[in-house]
Amino acid sequence: MNFSLRSYLKRLRSIILGILIIGILPALLFGTNTQVEQNVWEYSIRNLKYPLFPDVFEKYQYSMTIFFAALFTGLTAALILTFFTTLLPRFLQRVVYGLLTFLESLPDLFIVVVLQFTVIYIYQSTGVLVANISNVYNNPIYLLPILTLSILPTIQLFKIALLLMKDEQHKPYVTVGRAMGLSRFYITIVHVFRNILTSLVQYYKTIFVFMLSNLFIVEYVFNLNGIMNVLLNTKGVAFMVSALMIAIPFSLLFEIAETNTIKVNKQEEEEAA
Amino acid sequence: MIIKLLKQPQAIIGFLFITSLLIFSFYWPSMLDVDKTEALKLQDFLYDDDGRIIDAPPYSPSQVPPLGSDMFGKHIFYQVIDGAKYTILIALGIALFRILFSVGITLINPKSSFSFLNDIVQATLYLPTAILAYIFMNSLIMKQSMEPMSTIKLIVLQCLILIGVGVPPLISTFSREIKTILNKDYITNTFALGSKKVYVYYKHVLPELSTKLVLLFAQQVVQTLILMAHLGVLAIFIGGSAIVVLGDIFAPMPVAIPLAGEWAGIIGMNFAKIKAAPWAILTPLTFFALLIFALNLIIQGIQNCLETHKS
Repeated sequence: MNFSLRSYLKRLRSIILGILIIGILPALLFGTNTQVEQNVWEYSIRNLKYPLFPDVFEKYQYSMTIFFAALFTGLTAALILTFFTTLLPRFLQRVVYGLLTFLESLPDLFIVVVLQFTVIYIYQSTGVLVANISNVYNNPIYLLPILTLSILPTIQLFKIALLLMKDEQHKPYVTVGRAMGLSRFYITIVHVFRNILTSLVQYYKTIFVFMLSNLFIVEYVFNLNGIMNVLLNTKGVAFMVSALMIAIPFSLLFEIAETNTIKVNKQEEEEAA
Repeated sequence: MIIKLLKQPQAIIGFLFITSLLIFSFYWPSMLDVDKTEALKLQDFLYDDDGRIIDAPPYSPSQVPPLGSDMFGKHIFYQVIDGAKYTILIALGIALFRILFSVGITLINPKSSFSFLNDIVQATLYLPTAILAYIFMNSLIMKQSMEPMSTIKLIVLQCLILIGVGVPPLISTFSREIKTILNKDYITNTFALGSKKVYVYYKHVLPELSTKLVLLFAQQVVQTLILMAHLGVLAIFIGGSAIVVLGDIFAPMPVAIPLAGEWAGIIGMNFAKIKAAPWAILTPLTFFALLIFALNLIIQGIQNCLETHKS
């Protein structure tokens, strides 16, 4: 674990500058608001005013719970699925891969809407409410948003892991393991999976950025009171503050991941040399 | 490269799907033998054979085949078919201009690192593109409500926003790509032999970038389509909207109606009534999914081409 504060501060500076520019640009391009915001620490949704602090922390916590629970679910599901796919015969693996390419192209909106309707349909036909489909008043829902948010990352991670697995299975150490009489099952679980996990970390950026965009749609459609809803309805200072609340911790995560993947790459190069 | 692409069956299937959808969208009134204004008219009530009113919109797919109607009684199927051409052409155009602008800006001064753009790129990583576009669109619509502008101007400005949102990340990609090309030995030699900058860019840099450009273009089309769908849900329509009041006198319900007929508009218009008429949303969404799948097939084909090219 190595991490330099200096490069992080540099990154932070450019993020803050960028958010400032984005926050100011609309007013610059399309004229300033004639209605001066009464209070910069307030925002309004459907003509109701809400104070930004301290409510935003609660909403932030709620959003991040959903985000990381979905990430964790997605990762676990993807790894389990990858494991079972490798045990399948070769032609079935190809079928699974083709299916994944199709599933990957489903828009997030489509998945959210379809899941919502499935739950409603099940409720209408059997009378069993699997999960609440919308936030009503102060009653946060967890199950369905987490499930919805985790589906697309699962598909993406599954596809990446399958590709990595294909590459990994032809490496010499697997052959050596087979020659030593270790079972395919054992090699996959103990050796191959560990190597795949380190390679998967390299795709953190795509997955995280993609999931943040999905989180927004999930929050909007399920009517959740999360940070993305705040971000959508704020302007000016409040917008910049809520954007920074997302950007600062995530950029810290990215920085740590980046320095460590560079380290892993360097190690691999040294080993290869 | 085109000849190689012809050997990829998946790319051909994707391409054929999109072109046939486009052709069908332009010529459906004569192909299906229906009158266009008749098919897209508002239908207040449904009558049985004796002329009695049997139902009010939205009609389900079983009442109005093939895919039901929205809450104004318009056929969803015809709307989707008619809107296909706008959707595809808008997405293609926006993706094309994104690529053109970003290549142009990068080529003006390829050696500079665009630190100011880099800041924006760093920040936009954490903000969903839909929110970013929404902020700009919202202020644009606010301005339009205060001082009305012509539809053409509104569409141009909206397209400029959609283009601008995608340009900064592309510039940083291109400047990285072009820098690696410019650092190659033969480029340095060409400069040393005294060739002009413009010549080198036109003759060496752009051809080397071309395959990458096609790939990025296809990816940008997919991203634009997704962005349009998201903006549709947020009730931001390309081409502006008109407010129509539905409901009765005691519970008036203003509904925004898009003026252009693209798919995102159909989704956004019916989103408030999602539980009453699910087919009105699921149909355009399914078409979105199919279109994106076709594009992904093409992208896959291009990537296969690139891999065989390398080896």
